[in-house]
Amino acid sequence: MPRVSVRLHGVFANFAGGARSATVDADTVGAALDLVASRYPSLRERLRDEHGRLRQHMHVFANGEQIENAGGESTTLADGDTVHIVPAMSGGS
Amino acid sequence: MPKGVAILVGTRKGAYVFRATAARKRWKREGPYFAGEPVYNVSFDPRDGASLFAAVNPTFGGPRIEVSRDLGKTWKTASNPAFDDPALTFKRTWHIEAGHESQPRVVWAGTEPAALFRSDDRGMTWTHVPSLRAHATEHQWGPGAGGEGLHSIALDPADPKRISIGISVAGVYDSADGGRSWAIANRGTRTVMPVPKDVQYHRCVHHFVAHPTVPGVRFQQNHVGTYWGQNGGWREITDGLPGDFGFGAALHPHDAEAAYVFPLEGRTRLAPEPGAAVWRTRDSGKSWKRLATGLPRAQLQVLREGLATDRLDPAGVYFGSSTTGDLWASADEGKSWSLVAEYLPTILSVSTATLA
Repeated sequence: MPRVSVRLHGVFANFAGGARSATVDADTVGAALDLVASRYPSLRERLRDEHGRLRQHMHVFANGEQIENAGGESTTLADGDTVHIVPAMSGGS
Repeated sequence: MPKGVAILVGTRKGAYVFRATAARKRWKREGPYFAGEPVYNVSFDPRDGASLFAAVNPTFGGPRIEVSRDLGKTWKTASNPAFDDPALTFKRTWHIEAGHESQPRVVWAGTEPAALFRSDDRGMTWTHVPSLRAHATEHQWGPGAGGEGLHSIALDPADPKRISIGISVAGVYDSADGGRSWAIANRGTRTVMPVPKDVQYHRCVHHFVAHPTVPGVRFQQNHVGTYWGQNGGWREITDGLPGDFGFGAALHPHDAEAAYVFPLEGRTRLAPEPGAAVWRTRDSGKSWKRLATGLPRAQLQVLREGLATDRLDPAGVYFGSSTTGDLWASADEGKSWSLVAEYLPTILSVSTATLA
């Protein structure tokens, strides 16, 4: 199983009790997100709604590409890859 | 004898607590809690005298409910209310209400989409009450300007099985069996929708409260009119007010015929000329008195959760302005007013904790 790094940016680090990164063994982005949410349970409902859908105003990048433009949560990961969870640039309120 | 009062303020950018002794002259500010995040309601649990519940609805990370057991010093995130139906997604919490005195672990929450949730563990986990959305009129519900929210929850102090809720835009619904079934309860209220007279939905209740100790006393500010609860329905009591529009509504804690509103001009949704004023009835709406001593000649706006009373004697009355971020207090039942805080972020809600 690939060993990957998940980086938590901005408010998502706060939701994880201040953790800014985690190393997990995962072969897809979705699996990596679920593993980091298992490690920091306070993060789970901040990443997904009650139906398991990723929340709005949040972007996930894998190796420099936003996953919506790749394979979504099925985007495959390789050893040493990095996943970023980033607040969207949703300003104005 | 109560020791003092805390004013619980939800704003567009966090929550604040202002504390004072029973004299209510000098206020100490605490917060902001959840800085930068919209807080639609902060409510107090008078049963334990220490719990607060905050409806936090931020852009990032989705909505959540925060619970404090020490009057706001520390907070813990609850598990989210959740819908089983994949067509419904919890979008925000509008109001949280401590349950009946005889059910010390029960807390209620009203959400958007409009739904009622019940907690049996003092607010930490929530269960959807599906009977309400199963009501035959549910397909007629629709969003107001703020969304389709269940924003008012009123309990009968004599009977824990009697619970009422208010939804915009739908109206008031009553349950006499603890939430197993619901009856629409808008008789006597008006609507601007072109529907037959006997149609009871399409009612835009803006805020709805029940008296904390006197059974059957209910009061609502509607999009069209102010109403006093009567015989299971409503009696319009708008005559004597400067208009029929407003959001905030509060009952006097001891005098069961006294209530307060903050009327707004319907088009601008600001206080009508000559400026900010709370209006009080002492005869269940037969007459009204304008109370503005100390208030500015400014056209403030007060939102649906923005007007509250405490439980002291004489009663304190409070409101927060969504337009200026000013928080105002009266320690003499509305006769005179003083500024508690100014330049807060947009004030969304004001409630109180009377501290033993």
